[in-house]
Amino acid sequence: MVETTLHNPDAISTAEEARAIRLTRARRRSRNNIFRHIFLIICSLIMIYPLLWMVSASLKPDNEIFGTLWLWPSEFQWNNYVEGWDALVVSFSRFYMNSIIITVLSVIGNVISCSFAAYAFARLEFNGRNIWFSLMMMTLMLPYHIVLIPQYLLFLQLGWIDTYLPLVVPKFLATDAFFIFLMVQFFRQLPRELDEAAMMDGCSPFKIYWAIIMPLSIPAMATAAIFSFIWTWQDFLGPLIYLNDVKDYTVPLALRMFLSQDSVSLYGEMFAMSVLSIVPIFLFFVIFQRLIVQGIAMSGLK
Amino acid sequence: MAGVSLKSVNKKYGTVEAIHSIDLEVNDGEFLVLVGPSGCGKSTLLRMIAGLEEITDGTISIEDRVVNDVPASQRNLSMVFQSYALYPHMSVRKNLAFGLSNMKMPKPEIERRVADAARILQIGELMERKPRQLSGGQKQRVAIGRAIVREPQLFLFDEPLSNLDAELRVQMRVELAGLYNRLGTTMIYVTHDQVEAMTMATRIAVLSNGHLEQLGTPFELYNFPQNRFVASFIGSPKMNMLEAEAKGGAVELADFGSLPLGDGVSDGSLAVGVRPSQFLVGDEGDVHASGKITLVEYLGSEMFIHVQLASGRVMMVQAPGHSVYKLGDEIRLGISRRAAHYFDSAGLRVPLFDKQDS
Amino acid sequence: MRKFLAKNAPGYLFLSPWLLGFFFLAIGPIVTSFYLSFTKYDIATPPRFIGIEHYEYMFVWDARFWQSLKVTFAYVFMSVPGTLIFALAVAMLLDRQIRAIGTYRALFYLPSILGGSIAVAILWRQLFSNAGVINSIVELVGFEGPYWLSDPDYSLYTLVILAVWQFGSPMLIFLAGLRAIPQELYEAAEIDAAGPFRKFFAITLPMLAPVVFFNLVLQMIEAFKTFNSAFIISDGRGNPLDSLLFFTLYLYNEAFSFFRMGYASALAWVLLAIIGFFTAIAFATSKYWVHYENERG
Ligand SMILES: Nc1ncnc2c1ncn2[C@@H]1O[C@H](COP(=O)(O)OP(=O)(O)OP(=O)(O)O)[C@@H](O)[C@H]1O
Ligand SMILES: [Mg+2]
Repeated sequence: MVETTLHNPDAISTAEEARAIRLTRARRRSRNNIFRHIFLIICSLIMIYPLLWMVSASLKPDNEIFGTLWLWPSEFQWNNYVEGWDALVVSFSRFYMNSIIITVLSVIGNVISCSFAAYAFARLEFNGRNIWFSLMMMTLMLPYHIVLIPQYLLFLQLGWIDTYLPLVVPKFLATDAFFIFLMVQFFRQLPRELDEAAMMDGCSPFKIYWAIIMPLSIPAMATAAIFSFIWTWQDFLGPLIYLNDVKDYTVPLALRMFLSQDSVSLYGEMFAMSVLSIVPIFLFFVIFQRLIVQGIAMSGLK
Repeated sequence: MAGVSLKSVNKKYGTVEAIHSIDLEVNDGEFLVLVGPSGCGKSTLLRMIAGLEEITDGTISIEDRVVNDVPASQRNLSMVFQSYALYPHMSVRKNLAFGLSNMKMPKPEIERRVADAARILQIGELMERKPRQLSGGQKQRVAIGRAIVREPQLFLFDEPLSNLDAELRVQMRVELAGLYNRLGTTMIYVTHDQVEAMTMATRIAVLSNGHLEQLGTPFELYNFPQNRFVASFIGSPKMNMLEAEAKGGAVELADFGSLPLGDGVSDGSLAVGVRPSQFLVGDEGDVHASGKITLVEYLGSEMFIHVQLASGRVMMVQAPGHSVYKLGDEIRLGISRRAAHYFDSAGLRVPLFDKQDS
Repeated sequence: MRKFLAKNAPGYLFLSPWLLGFFFLAIGPIVTSFYLSFTKYDIATPPRFIGIEHYEYMFVWDARFWQSLKVTFAYVFMSVPGTLIFALAVAMLLDRQIRAIGTYRALFYLPSILGGSIAVAILWRQLFSNAGVINSIVELVGFEGPYWLSDPDYSLYTLVILAVWQFGSPMLIFLAGLRAIPQELYEAAEIDAAGPFRKFFAITLPMLAPVVFFNLVLQMIEAFKTFNSAFIISDGRGNPLDSLLFFTLYLYNEAFSFFRMGYASALAWVLLAIIGFFTAIAFATSKYWVHYENERG
């Protein structure tokens, strides 16, 4: 076989030709790739320019913020951060505290209640399961605005306005069908035989949930927790409706207060606090990028 | 150790009947193998005994205790799954101990049992590994280990070897047989591998379409299949079936001619079954036919030759490995009436020469 | 009976939080909302049943209602196709094994994850202010920048651009979809000497149709529900001159600024009907342009 190839001039030329074609193609591809990289880099820069601009504005003296595209401050105004923190009637320490309380409780509530529901839907047998499941899927499509007003009236009746309860209690009642759906998908791909083996090992349904399903679903739980964190941290409508006392405000509500103080120019401070408000999300994004990307691809979460 | 008794056990999935009223007695200390084609209900039956599947009707008792409503974990049995179902997030040691610690067993006792199992199965060095760090055979051992630490009265296996490669399968088969001899516990074992069934079983139950076709020792099943289904299901390659018409104590076989059978046979259609190994080559036998070899499958110790008879029918014949048959050769086949199997029009065995044979 | 309980108890126990939420925070409110939409209700006095008066008023007399519809539709029909086209184009650029794909993907996705925040909405306001960055760029090119935020002819574009800027999440979904297209199809097309355009229209687009469909429905629903950015950029009222009076904003103001709970409920039902209608259209037409892989196999 080898010999025939060596002694056959035709074979040599064909092989060389193939190599030549492969080379030009590789060269063309690499040239293509360089253009593509240049294009992508320009695009990325345009994409993140607004964010960079915000960071730069937070560090500039007020008179440099507008009218220029240049990002580098002539002089770094770190003071914007210090002054911004206390620029409003209530300190941002308080706002962050409020946001953290609401967010942490919401994340815990979402993970527990949604994983409970998902476990029931994915793993347990009971009468009416399919009906409940399709009802759950319907709430997935339901715009929040339909329930907004009656929920407000309900919480008003319960005397929960100006407390965190309207923002937190629903999270403990698995109202976020997205997460249930995400977890059901994940649970379903775990082998059924694991549950059965655990059942034979004397596990109650709760023990199976706790000792088998949950430890094996850490990626799904983390994804739900991350998105729950990001959404709650950024939530605006909920706090806007339910919180009236400035002392109870969350960070987004507080940021909005900068806008109503237009007369006093607090631009540097406003941008400084804006930057700070998205730092937690940014950090989460950097740390958990892989899970976030997977989560989106899996279920189309925003 | 315990016997298992199934009385008219029935299983329906919606309107589909997966198991049709099965009666089955498994003796204490027996190695019972359930075989049957895919989808015949083997797993379903096993899972009903395990308590993983509800039974629609009938009763299941283990050691004279009706267990219909007893949860799986309290039936005092262990099950080994086809996919092993090891807990991926636990070490081998934890996998073995998990069930025992759920039973609130004292620590030293758990450790003793785990150590025993590790010794028996030679998995001592693997104890701290996670399942994904194990080979298929090692996983299999751990899965068996998880079953034996509970020291149950009854072991259930659902095709435990089907995920292993051929060589490992033979090895594990020998080890399982050894384990059975050593523990003497009742075992119910599902497989679709005939060799596993024939070599390991004390008795075999053949299922088809949710019916129990025959229950018997491997010897009985091979030599006295009670119906056509069992006859062609047990034994590889399959038994050759010759459709024929019986008349006046003889049966008229196409190609072979008339085979006298004596008084025991009534008129009507009769199927004559001949295993490939039971064909006689040459002039021996009671009736003969000639044919042409269309295919030779050489396996070393033996060979299977496909012989096309004058009518176009193809017979599968087993011959010793040192024979010299070639494609295209003419060959003369003989049938001895004592070595053949006879089935009536309903497919049931007609016991013509059984007495003398056994 | 005992058997029935034993079979159902664990399932319903695990489901109980969701069931509570479902009845008290979903079904209950839906029914209430439907009822309220036929009443006059200002919280102070009990609801008074007025039949379909709200709906009649809305469609016949309420110019702001029509304005809010106009704004919302204009927004949806500009932002959704824009977002999807960008998302698909960038996803295709990123598809082939290209170096540093993770970094690009992260950079393109970052705006999506931050986009809903108030910080970004505030930032956007400043970018489009008269002396803001955008106008600086426009002037650099030699034109005079418009008053983006105070000119009703331009204000909506600020929000459309903000939406398109967040093409990251449909892009990720497109990327996943592109990955799933078997490479052999392209190789086969190459052997058939198909050019890049042919490959795109004959292979990529048809194979991607389910993903396009999914993204379209998702983005459309999201776009109809836009609120945060509209609220911040329009001072919470739809300024200037109601040119940013998004439907959700109108609804919010009716309910929580003027406490016309009945009318706001009626608006919510119209929103549901609109979203339902467009989703239904997408589904109904999908059988003509979406072919699922497993349908054939
Ligand atoms: N959960 C279920 N719902 C409906 N039908 C089922 C269910 N489980 C099994 N069946 C049906 O019951 C019959 C028996 O299935 P079973 O799994 O017991 O077959 P098997 O003999 O173990 O087959 P295999 O050798 O392929 O494992 C099959 O026809 C199957 O389709
Ligand atoms: Mg099976």
